[in-house]
Amino acid sequence: MTTTQTRRNPRLTDGVDQDLRHLIPEGICRTFRVMPYAAVDGTVLVAAADADDTITAHVVAERIDRPVLLVRHTVNEIVSAIDTVYPPQETEVETPEARRARMQMAQMLTRSGLITDDQLQRAMLEYSRTGDPLGDILVSHEAITEDVLVAALSEMYQMQRVGLSEFAPDMEVARRLPEPIAQAFQVVPVAATEELVLLAVARPLDAEQAAEVEEALGSPFRQLLANRTELDQLIQHVHSRHYAEVSTRLLMETRPEESAHIVVSGGQKATFVLVAIVVVVCGVIWPMSTVIGVIAACSLLYLVVSFYKFRLTLRALGTHLETDVTDEEIAALDERHLPRYTILVPLYKEAAIVPRLVRDINALDYPRTRLDVKLLCEEDDQETVAKIRAMELPPHFHLVVVPDSQPKTKPKACNYGLQLATGSYCVIFDAEDRPDPDQLKKAVIAFGRVADNVVCVQAKLNHFNQDQNLLTAWFANEYSMHFELILPAMGAAESPIPLGGTSNHFVTSKLRELGAWDPFNVTEDADLGIRLHREGYRTAMIDSTTLEEANSQVPNWIRQRSRWNKGYIQTWLVHMRHPFQLLAATGLRGFLSINLTMGTAFVLLLNPIFWGLTTLYVFTQAGIIQQLFPGIIFYVASALLFVGNFIFVYLSVAGSLQRGEFSLTRTALLSPLYWGLMSWAAWKGFIQLFTNPFYWEKTTHGLDDGSAGQS
Amino acid sequence: MSTATVVHTKERLSGVVQSVGRRPSDVPRRWWESALVFLFFTVGYTWFGYWVVVDQHVVGFETLDRLNRALMVWHNDPAKLSAIGFDYPPLATLLIAPLAVFRGFVTSMAAVPLASAIFAAITMVGLNTMMRRALVAGPLRYALLLALGANPLVLLYATTGTRHFVWIAFVVTGLGSLFAWYITADVRFVMLAGIAYSVAALSGYSSLTFFVLSAIMIGAILARLGADGTEVEGTVVGFAAPTVYVIALWTVFNLVLLLSPFSWITRSSDAASSGGLEMFSAVDLLRATGELVLYGAPIAIIVLPALIFSGFARGNPFALWLGVLLGAAILTPALAVALRLTDSPMLMRNALPILLLSVVGAIWLARSAEEGSTLVAAVVIVGLLVSIPWTLNEMKTYRFQNLEAPFAAALTTGESQEGAETLNGEKVGIVSEQAMAEYIRNNVSQDNSILTDNAQTYAVMMLTGHPELFFDRVDRSDGPWKEAARNPAEYVDYLLMSTADNGDLLTKLYPDAAAGNDAQLQVVYSTPRYVLVGVPAGFSPDQQSSQIDQLGQSS
Repeated sequence: MTTTQTRRNPRLTDGVDQDLRHLIPEGICRTFRVMPYAAVDGTVLVAAADADDTITAHVVAERIDRPVLLVRHTVNEIVSAIDTVYPPQETEVETPEARRARMQMAQMLTRSGLITDDQLQRAMLEYSRTGDPLGDILVSHEAITEDVLVAALSEMYQMQRVGLSEFAPDMEVARRLPEPIAQAFQVVPVAATEELVLLAVARPLDAEQAAEVEEALGSPFRQLLANRTELDQLIQHVHSRHYAEVSTRLLMETRPEESAHIVVSGGQKATFVLVAIVVVVCGVIWPMSTVIGVIAACSLLYLVVSFYKFRLTLRALGTHLETDVTDEEIAALDERHLPRYTILVPLYKEAAIVPRLVRDINALDYPRTRLDVKLLCEEDDQETVAKIRAMELPPHFHLVVVPDSQPKTKPKACNYGLQLATGSYCVIFDAEDRPDPDQLKKAVIAFGRVADNVVCVQAKLNHFNQDQNLLTAWFANEYSMHFELILPAMGAAESPIPLGGTSNHFVTSKLRELGAWDPFNVTEDADLGIRLHREGYRTAMIDSTTLEEANSQVPNWIRQRSRWNKGYIQTWLVHMRHPFQLLAATGLRGFLSINLTMGTAFVLLLNPIFWGLTTLYVFTQAGIIQQLFPGIIFYVASALLFVGNFIFVYLSVAGSLQRGEFSLTRTALLSPLYWGLMSWAAWKGFIQLFTNPFYWEKTTHGLDDGSAGQS
Repeated sequence: MSTATVVHTKERLSGVVQSVGRRPSDVPRRWWESALVFLFFTVGYTWFGYWVVVDQHVVGFETLDRLNRALMVWHNDPAKLSAIGFDYPPLATLLIAPLAVFRGFVTSMAAVPLASAIFAAITMVGLNTMMRRALVAGPLRYALLLALGANPLVLLYATTGTRHFVWIAFVVTGLGSLFAWYITADVRFVMLAGIAYSVAALSGYSSLTFFVLSAIMIGAILARLGADGTEVEGTVVGFAAPTVYVIALWTVFNLVLLLSPFSWITRSSDAASSGGLEMFSAVDLLRATGELVLYGAPIAIIVLPALIFSGFARGNPFALWLGVLLGAAILTPALAVALRLTDSPMLMRNALPILLLSVVGAIWLARSAEEGSTLVAAVVIVGLLVSIPWTLNEMKTYRFQNLEAPFAAALTTGESQEGAETLNGEKVGIVSEQAMAEYIRNNVSQDNSILTDNAQTYAVMMLTGHPELFFDRVDRSDGPWKEAARNPAEYVDYLLMSTADNGDLLTKLYPDAAAGNDAQLQVVYSTPRYVLVGVPAGFSPDQQSSQIDQLGQSS
């Protein structure tokens, strides 16, 4: 209960009670001009500049779990007390002008009935935490539209507005301002005379920005306030050719040796042909010995890959190798210091998922005013584009339409979006992803804690529909093992981590520096993980999970998995073009780790061959098979068959237990059947590597609830 | 189709009883301490065992059989993994196979004590780690390990190469993991326990009793702590999966290769020296059980009631479970007799798991006693020390035993036991085998030139270090071997036979030759227990063919 009065009570000037001084956070104290300072008969006295304001009373009462009495004080008294309790940082304290503007905005909107007290209170609270413009906060929470805000700003700043929704730009004029400036300041020339350029701006430019713009334009200009969403669309439209070019060709032209636009290099072709010739010649001269040799080599590869995975898993089992971020640290984060965060969401024929996606992104525990969400759509996907337009999303959502060109892949779309990114950090989420709400904050804290060379933080992936059927349960088992055990162990060992498809958080500038994703690689994530390692950067894991939709239908699953296997081989081929350079860049441990990790794809190819031989032998006892496995090779193969296979089954169980998904342990026991599917997909991907290397096998999403779309 | 409910990580884990995904507080790892304990006991037992086996000639033939099989895994012609056979739990042989990589290590008999010393040392490491988790002070830990390690029963089975410590080591490791799980709630330990029990299961089938009881305990404790059904089921499945897998796999092997899925139980050779099952009344069994505990593991008489009291009166479920395990260890020998699952009743070696489980129980009692833990540990040490002379004395006269009496005699007199008899009438010693092996090593060089029934002559084969010299029943299975036995002249130059009436198929087929009275099969060399006869070219044993067939069917 909150009451107000002015009769004689202890005053703020008598001093602030040490036990009460931090009852209300600094942001709220400064925003609402309040300060708790004394307790009388169990009632907390709170100094308030406007003791009659109901919003202030409500906000204070919510934060103090005792009866509260607002006691009127002068602004100076309160500000002085706040400055004593929370010594001001020059850059963080609201200037008198800014405060006047904020109050003016609040009054304008409340008096005109455009927002309710509740909306204002919520926005003021967010302002007290973040210090972001009140109008932007209101728009991000859809309390008012961007058009209303622009109108209000236009009134406040006495600036003209310009509507851009139907605007057809004169490209020559629009491109007078270089793209980096247009992008950074969110400005576009919309008309020009000999003396003056009319410039659409998202917000009034400050003097420094204005000077830079004028210098770039080479002429004076006049600012016209525009709707941010419309302005963003215009900038994209004006510069789309440039973005498309960069997103496709940047890596290929700047780092051709790291691009998968050529699958097998000349040197590799020569090596493979030479090896094939040697094997064939040996096969003709010593047929049995050659086959035994090949089997021995395959068994050895199998053994080493299995041992490596086993070692990683054991290292991680029961430990916590991820960068640890506690709830208390998240609660203690000063949101005024949170960086802008770009979220890239590639979409393809997923119109039905968009409302859910918007809901889940808005559910993230991160100020919406600091989010820069790029919804990356393909030009030919009119349905999704139309759906997003129809939803009239607030301006922290940006519709990005990627022009239709080859290769039409997710990494190309991401590259396109990355050029428009304004966040210091960026992350990829798939349309159906449901990240833990605090994931962005965890990533920010993790980036602040890890070594300087860590430019990527990978969150864990798992599935929300694991109980849908056996396939989804297996998939969840596999992800549990991979993300709960193997990747954390690799991260702790500073080995190159093949990044997961989503929920990898990057330092945006470093990602650009690296040339971003390879649009020709169908597992661009794994490739990028290795590339950043080669450049001396590292990846860390955080203990936060993004739930995805597990493929619930076998054909759809096979398509996705075949792409992954094709991509793994593609990635291996790219990085093994110059093995010694790779060795020099990653060190022996990194080199082995890359090869053993990518070796998984080859092991999946071997599985059906070994299983076939074993089955044939059990049923026929054929002597020829026995001869193929002499002595030690037989022991290795037997160990792999009976011990190795079981260990991998058990590691699946371990992954589920490590994650606390106890319901999945039963299905983990049947995982050898799942490996059969994996091998099928591996062979499909392997064959496709020769027949259609850049083809992106589309995966249908939304099969869990019928809202199917593709990515 | 319904939309899946999305449950975020915090919410999902809020009801989980166990600690998942992170390591809770536990005693710090001290690998060097574990390594030192392991080294100390391995070296100590091997050194002492070498004296017992090589100088005192106290060695069980079962150990030589397994080492011979291990030798065949590497050095037979062709190398045969299948030499591990079905007579013993497979890992009892496979785990000591690395010791047979170098022939000289086996023929010198140095591998014999090491084959058990390693596993006894693992047991000691497990107990030491348990004591660390029970916060028993260092000096007391080491004193307890020494007092236990010097127990004559432990000494006998840790130093003579027997296989009992193989499965016991993994059961103690499994118990240690569950001990850690109960303290830390770290689900990882359940998985490690599962792995340990699976190895134990294929090392000694007796461990399955402890496995089943442990699985029940995990479920019961989780349920008591408020875990939901999914967590209970998932954890128990995680624990049980390895053991169920290995047993299922072994059953399938038995089915495919022997056409009898459960022959791993029926063919299991748990002892070679019992001389058949006596008739026991319930009172006899009760008395024999009492004697077993009293003579072999007297501290169980104190520990068992203490565990049960602690379990019920102090609400200590882990103590209760350890009490149940100890009770099971005590009752199992009698139950095995009652159910006629064994032909070697109430052997003194059955006191070994009782003794070790009593120690584990005592460690838990020490932990539960908190401030009184030092006192409990000290009492246990005194109990163990007092039981050393007591047990040593009883080993000389206890009715049901293997090598306990010769071992005790060797220990107290310091004299070789070559030629001595065990209480059940078997001769002790290996001079006969060594002499025959030396002759073969010096005089035979052709691979597969000696036909022999390896089930009876394994000791000679092992001591030669050259299993490839022998045409045995492992080489190409029983069919071709019988074919060679019918017409040895076509395949081999010699027959090696046992002179005792112990089931040697060749001895049964050629009794005159075994006795040295066959005109055609002339004795080349003989010892009191073996005879090597030459097979002349053109030898044709027509009259024995039908016997071969009959023997083959019964083998």
